[in-house]
Amino acid sequence: MANPLNLPMVRRSLRNLVSRPVTRRYPTEIRPRFAGARGTIEFDVDTCVFCMLCARRCPAAAITVSREDRYFAIEQLTCIGCGVCVEVCNKGSLTMSVNSRAGHTRAEVGPQGQRPGHEEWRKPAPAAEALVGS
Amino acid sequence: MKRTVIPFGPQHPVLPEPLVLDLVLEDEKVVDAIPTIGYIHRGLEMMVERVEYTEMGFVVERICGICSFMHGMGYCVSLESIMNVEVPERAGWLRLIWAEISRIQSHLLWLGLGADAFGFENLFMHCWRMREQILDVFEKTTGGRIIHSVNRIGGVKRDISDSELAAILAELQELGAAFKETARVFRTDPSIAHRLGGVGVLSMQDARAVDAVGPMARASGIATDIRLIGANYYDRIELQPVTETDGDCLARVLVRMREIDQSIDIVRQAIGKMPKGEGQAIETKVRGLPSGEVFTRLEQPRGEVLYYVKANGTKNLERFRARTPTFANIPAMIKLVKGCDLADVPNIILTIDPCISCTER
Repeated sequence: MANPLNLPMVRRSLRNLVSRPVTRRYPTEIRPRFAGARGTIEFDVDTCVFCMLCARRCPAAAITVSREDRYFAIEQLTCIGCGVCVEVCNKGSLTMSVNSRAGHTRAEVGPQGQRPGHEEWRKPAPAAEALVGS
Repeated sequence: MKRTVIPFGPQHPVLPEPLVLDLVLEDEKVVDAIPTIGYIHRGLEMMVERVEYTEMGFVVERICGICSFMHGMGYCVSLESIMNVEVPERAGWLRLIWAEISRIQSHLLWLGLGADAFGFENLFMHCWRMREQILDVFEKTTGGRIIHSVNRIGGVKRDISDSELAAILAELQELGAAFKETARVFRTDPSIAHRLGGVGVLSMQDARAVDAVGPMARASGIATDIRLIGANYYDRIELQPVTETDGDCLARVLVRMREIDQSIDIVRQAIGKMPKGEGQAIETKVRGLPSGEVFTRLEQPRGEVLYYVKANGTKNLERFRARTPTFANIPAMIKLVKGCDLADVPNIILTIDPCISCTER
């Protein structure tokens, strides 16, 4: 029978017993995301011209755009965060946030046909905007 | 003697993924093993019919979370050779660096899983703690910890600055030095030697007969490594395949441990040899539609992977197919399981480093 103190892991385990933990005290201590980390897609409806490039190139088919209805929708839970939509957008309407936002909250998930992670925008037609402005 | 059939999997504590083996036992000895796969098939290869070739790379790298970088790289390399696209030199080197770092993380993950399978839980924690550092390197450089989405046809999406590369190398070398202590546990602990030594011996002849690939073949003394064919800038790297001669479970552990050191050295060489300076081209713009077919071979952490791509001049590829290393190693695993004790089955299965997601796609 080998002397347990001669086993390499025993010494190391004893050392670990008195050293600081290597893990963080999550969730009270959260490491900030690195710059350039891929997170959630953010959309700016004001600059969007509904060209549909993003919807056509999205490999996960997470984006729905309608030019007639001036409508943009993204399924955050379907999005795979590849960033293709951000690259193809000529107007800079799509950006990728460093932080990941939870796709849904508990209140969003329910039996009444709610779609967790579904975000949609409708932009009024320019004429209607002018009308509101006057 | 009466035979008993024991189903092993699809849910089993040592299996990270669903694989089924029907073990035919005589007393405690396994006399036959019948594998069944098909529990995690997702039809990713068929998605080429729906997803355009430019975006298919994102699907391909989701074949498996551990070798995701290599899958994405293999797809892009295949398309580049069909379309005769020259990848900028810096992009090629960056791919090589990321590929080697992903090999380190895969081996660390596997060493942890292996330690967990033979009941050494604190060793498992140590391996995975080091793997976290590697995942942080990936998050810093590619934006993703597991799915990197950094490869694209014609190059890579992101550059790593020279100062950042130097910092990564310093971090890797520090990790390599710290890993030596963990490696010493694997090498010298009597319980590990007792549990793995002489278990599941695959002789060199048998390894050739069942066409074992990757660390499985190298642990049996076959110096095979697809990196030696020299594609993707590996021809400019000094590289000797890591081999062991025993062919048992312990030899497979040792091969993977030594490959971690080897990969760190390859990253060092690559950083020294790649063209320096900011603002270098990392991507060639690709125009037109692919037409033709190609086979691509890469050395993944688990062994040789083979991609077949057939394009017909439309936006969607006609066929995409991947032959992954685990699929090639399953016959070797079945060979080893026959004749062993039931208690050794988990270790033998784990030491081939099975990736069922890759196998079934």
